[in-house]
Amino acid sequence: MSKYTRRSFVKTAALSATALSMPSIAFGALPKVVVIGGGAGGATAAKYIAKDSKGKVDVTLIEASKRYYTCFFSNLYLGDFRNYGSIGHNYYGLAVNRGVNVVHEWAKSVDPAAKKINLGSGGSVSYDKLVVSPGIDLKYDSINGYSADVQSKMPHAWKSGTQVQLLKNKVKGMKKGGTFVMVPPPNPYRCPPGPYERVSMIAHQFKKSNPTAKIVVLDPKKKFSKMGLFQEAWQKHYPGMIEWIGVDTHGGLKNINAATMEFETDLDTFKADAASVVPAQQAGAIAMTAGINKGDWCPIVAGTMQSQADKNIYVLGDASIAKSMPKSGFSANSQAKVAANHIRGSLTGSKVFPARYSNTCWSLVATNDGVKVGASYKAGAEKIDVTSKFISKTGESSDLRKATYEESIGWYEGITSDMFS
Amino acid sequence: MKTIKMIKISRRNAIALMLGTAGYIMSSGIAFAGKEQVLKRINEITKGKGAKELDIFLDLPEIAENGNQVKVNFEIESEMTKENYIKNVYILADGNPAPDVAKFSFTPDMGMCSATTRIRLSKTQNVVLVAENNKNEYFMTKSKVKVTIGGCGG
Amino acid sequence: MSKVKPRGKVPKKATIDEVIEIKTLIRHPMHSGRMKDKDGKNIPRQIINSFKVDFEGKEIFKMKLEPSISTNPYIAFPYKAKKTGTFNFEWKDDSGNTYTMKRKMTVS
Repeated sequence: MSKYTRRSFVKTAALSATALSMPSIAFGALPKVVVIGGGAGGATAAKYIAKDSKGKVDVTLIEASKRYYTCFFSNLYLGDFRNYGSIGHNYYGLAVNRGVNVVHEWAKSVDPAAKKINLGSGGSVSYDKLVVSPGIDLKYDSINGYSADVQSKMPHAWKSGTQVQLLKNKVKGMKKGGTFVMVPPPNPYRCPPGPYERVSMIAHQFKKSNPTAKIVVLDPKKKFSKMGLFQEAWQKHYPGMIEWIGVDTHGGLKNINAATMEFETDLDTFKADAASVVPAQQAGAIAMTAGINKGDWCPIVAGTMQSQADKNIYVLGDASIAKSMPKSGFSANSQAKVAANHIRGSLTGSKVFPARYSNTCWSLVATNDGVKVGASYKAGAEKIDVTSKFISKTGESSDLRKATYEESIGWYEGITSDMFS
Repeated sequence: MKTIKMIKISRRNAIALMLGTAGYIMSSGIAFAGKEQVLKRINEITKGKGAKELDIFLDLPEIAENGNQVKVNFEIESEMTKENYIKNVYILADGNPAPDVAKFSFTPDMGMCSATTRIRLSKTQNVVLVAENNKNEYFMTKSKVKVTIGGCGG
Repeated sequence: MSKVKPRGKVPKKATIDEVIEIKTLIRHPMHSGRMKDKDGKNIPRQIINSFKVDFEGKEIFKMKLEPSISTNPYIAFPYKAKKTGTFNFEWKDDSGNTYTMKRKMTVS
């Protein structure tokens, strides 16, 4: 079975879902791994299983979008530090370089008993091991007055792509001296510093083109990731522009009136000229159909990323409860490598190494002013434990902040190449 | 500058010895209020009478991940009648550039002696509350807040 | 540059003798005089230094604020409702500017 034939088969198979049940017949003896979701977790897992098994495992990646826009660095697009095209990636490299069978389809449900995935088009795919890495779904009804309809008026932009473009248009089109209201999500959620980097990037836009604009942050939390660093930066770069109000001050967001753009809290009613509202989140719907969730998220085994409910299913990234790791692209990428190593071990008998994880969350607060927080982890008995951690300090030199920002650019190039090539 | 700083240090040492408290470290370059300035303020506020240390409800975090906004809330048991009420509450801190943080003035109309605000704490330090009732009696309590830079991914 | 904006919450209705909580928040940078701008120049002290509340013309509560009060001062305090009336809130800053807000409460 030469790589050539396999690749050309991949191409035709990808065209039609009905052909999908064929690979397991065609490749008979090859164990079959299916990965749902082509983000930082799924794309990385698919690549590493295919790459390291050297043709001994058949890998299929199911991802609805042909072009993937990263959530990480989408804030930099908001601040004009990246263009939209630069955060978009395709799956060509995975298919061509790694022989991953990439299927652009909607995975509708998982039947864990039959070890089968039902696709939106009506076809199905069977698996020996399944990797579920679907990211998040938004709980629109977690905020009174917010809904899937209102998201076009007050974009959450918490899944990258057109929502982020929409948000950028709202920011750029806001009236002079207007008020932008940002509602961050409650814990736990994708990308803990993300809402505050977003506030920084919107402030950066306003500083250039709308300097009398105001940003009001109505936070459902009392504190947030890198709070001291962000607040220091806001005071330094955007004095008087950003008003962050925590829940212990505003008393809770009671209602959003999308028609009048009013946000009613216990403290006051805030009127917005433009807004971004990020509701509460949960694991992507496909995880729920597999029955591997416990409430909103999916518990995993700390040393392998296997679902606690089904050892043939691995859950990566935002959808998992990977305590003490935050929900981030870096975390998902790191978890994917642990899962890939374990999956290969169980299917081909290759060596399985003890789990080591790491994460860093960089945030850009202004031009050449980057901050970061991160940690290294190992599998503990009950959860993933922190072995060491670090965070930027307040009052750091501008050279160090610039170096931190440059490091994040290097990381972006590195992780996207790690995922997609 | 240098001379002033030296004088300050020697004065501090002297007072620290006088008060029988352990010496404390002064951060180089930045002058913080220090314990003796807080004691001096207590002395001024109480007109030399001093304040009785009581178990007053002073709610502050043990660890503040962000010294820019530390929520402080207190509640002092009092009838809050014309005959017997808490008139003033002072908040002082020994690790900020100046000892005074705020002064609250209450009236019996409030029905209760309580307030909440948010304060800045430059570093780990003691926050001191001094209360004065309408009979010019003074009470105090204090609470130590460890100030760290917060982060954590999750 | 920054627009000072007072906000506040007083319950619209209260019953007689009920102790209510009043919350206020005013948008203000509270420049302590010790912070530097990004060119390294000292930002002169500019803070809200006093806050005062009247109910129907009678002073019920006041506060003296120092530079150690956080940006956007938040102040919450109780009041024992006795009759229907209007609260008058007044903040003053170092430049002598006064910012006011009124809130009505019906007591039954």
